[in-house]
Amino acid sequence: MSDSDRDSAGGPGDHALLEFEHVDKYFGDTHVLKDISLDVEDGEVCVVIGPSGSGKSTLLRCANRLEEIQNGEIRLDGRSISDPDADINRLRQRIGMVFQSFNLFPHKTAIENLTLAPRKVRGTGEAAARQRAEELLAEVGLSDQADSYPNQLSGGQQQRVAIARALAMDPRVMLFDEVTSALDPELVGEVLEVMRGLADEGMTMMVVTHEMGFAREVADRVVLMDEGRIVETGAPESFFENPETERGEQFLSKLL
Amino acid sequence: MADSYADASADANAVADGFFDDQTLKYLGVGLSSLFALGVGLLLLYILATQVDYGLIPTILPQFLRAYGLVLGIVVTGSVLSVSAGIFVGLARVSKTRITSGLAAIYVQFFRGTPLLFQIFVVYFGIPTLWPGTFPVQDWGIPTAIIALTLNHAAYVGEAVRGGIGAVHDGQMEAARSLGMGYVQAMREVVIPQAWRNALAAVGNDQIILVKDTSLLTVIAVPELIQQFRSVNSATFDPWTPLVLVAIAYLSITIPMGRLVEYLEERSDWGGESQ
Ligand SMILES: Nc1ncnc2c1ncn2[C@@H]1O[C@H](COP(=O)(O)OP(=O)(O)OP(=O)(O)O)[C@@H](O)[C@H]1O
Ligand SMILES: [Mg+2]
Repeated sequence: MSDSDRDSAGGPGDHALLEFEHVDKYFGDTHVLKDISLDVEDGEVCVVIGPSGSGKSTLLRCANRLEEIQNGEIRLDGRSISDPDADINRLRQRIGMVFQSFNLFPHKTAIENLTLAPRKVRGTGEAAARQRAEELLAEVGLSDQADSYPNQLSGGQQQRVAIARALAMDPRVMLFDEVTSALDPELVGEVLEVMRGLADEGMTMMVVTHEMGFAREVADRVVLMDEGRIVETGAPESFFENPETERGEQFLSKLL
Repeated sequence: MADSYADASADANAVADGFFDDQTLKYLGVGLSSLFALGVGLLLLYILATQVDYGLIPTILPQFLRAYGLVLGIVVTGSVLSVSAGIFVGLARVSKTRITSGLAAIYVQFFRGTPLLFQIFVVYFGIPTLWPGTFPVQDWGIPTAIIALTLNHAAYVGEAVRGGIGAVHDGQMEAARSLGMGYVQAMREVVIPQAWRNALAAVGNDQIILVKDTSLLTVIAVPELIQQFRSVNSATFDPWTPLVLVAIAYLSITIPMGRLVEYLEERSDWGGESQ
């Protein structure tokens, strides 16, 4: 991946790749994230679970500043994301995001969805952008759909294009917000497969999901959120077999 | 629960067996519209056969052609200007900066809320008197036409564009921004092309109205098509010959414009209707 950026990273190397430090987030008067501190290490797959409304999506959206935070700091590779003076367009290139509703650009073909940002944001040449896009489409198993419009693809295919589109910017970390929740059950597997492959390649990932099988299998760490707080974190084996908190036990028992 | 179910099925039967079921409605529609078309067709034939003075046409054709050229020129200029300005009005309307969106809203309120004829008068009679000294433009009628039509239709195009932008899913902007695009870039590359497609039908509709709005210019003596009707009619007392020419002239602009809009809509189909 982008070695140059890794080298030019800010600060001495004594920090996690993605850091949340005492983060508070309010929507009006509603306190949605309460004093969240979390370090996601380079190469780690961090799966965030928790009941509906617990703040999982908000946490991810703060991580690339689709939402502003009111207290604390979020840093990528030592550089503040939440600082009002941060060059957010530059930082976002390092943070790939995949949405529940795909959000592919309907007026662009699959391959154009992948080349748009590299060309317009980074100034990559047309040919180079296309070549990289073709590689990525092959990686998600969609070489034959390069010239299809999103309308012409199944939900699973669209979501795989969306993952490839985020990867086209060579991000340092990938954020996934319930990316299989809008899919028909039979299409979930192909998307999880792509995510598993990414994890195996060492991509740093923050994944909000209800797919407990995926969490158990792929996560390096599971984070349980409830009412805006992180109530438990742990390795998947210990968390799923033997949760430490009562809240963790309750959450797991409801899944069964 | 059981009751409402029974009611619903009873209603369904009533619709199926009643007078206005699908078949009846279809025949009624075909029957009525055929009758209407026949009536209009016969009337038109009658007018063309008995009312139109074909001998007069060669005499009045040159002035109609000049008027036609002038209307075309005003329409093309007014269209280009009002659509371009309207896109900015629409963008300003959705701006997060209060002053920008507020001013745009006032602009739209004014130009949509007062008659075009009034706006033509403001520009034609009002502006020259505001000029310190003698007003430098001799033929102020045609510039007035272009200014008033542009200002007026930019408001309508602006509203169409605003609606088009509103119909683009928020996730599109978020996806573009999360890839590192700036606001302006995301608007240009992602939101506006989709908004434009959403707005096309409404913009096309408005531009066809713009063509017909040129007829109002007769009140400030711009030599457009209605003006020609009036001059021929007052000289010959023949209404139908110039009326037919006027109809042909307008339709020869508005029908191709409708087609153009359809073509542009088809071109931005993006792989099918199923979204
Ligand atoms: N734009 C918003 N404005 C106001 N409140 C919001 C907004 N977005 C989220 N919230 C509130 O913030 C809280 C956390 O929402 P969030 O979407 O982060 O939860 P979640 O854990 O992702 O839930 P789910 O599993 O249903 O997706 C909820 O109470 C929600 O109602
Ligand atoms: Mg959510």
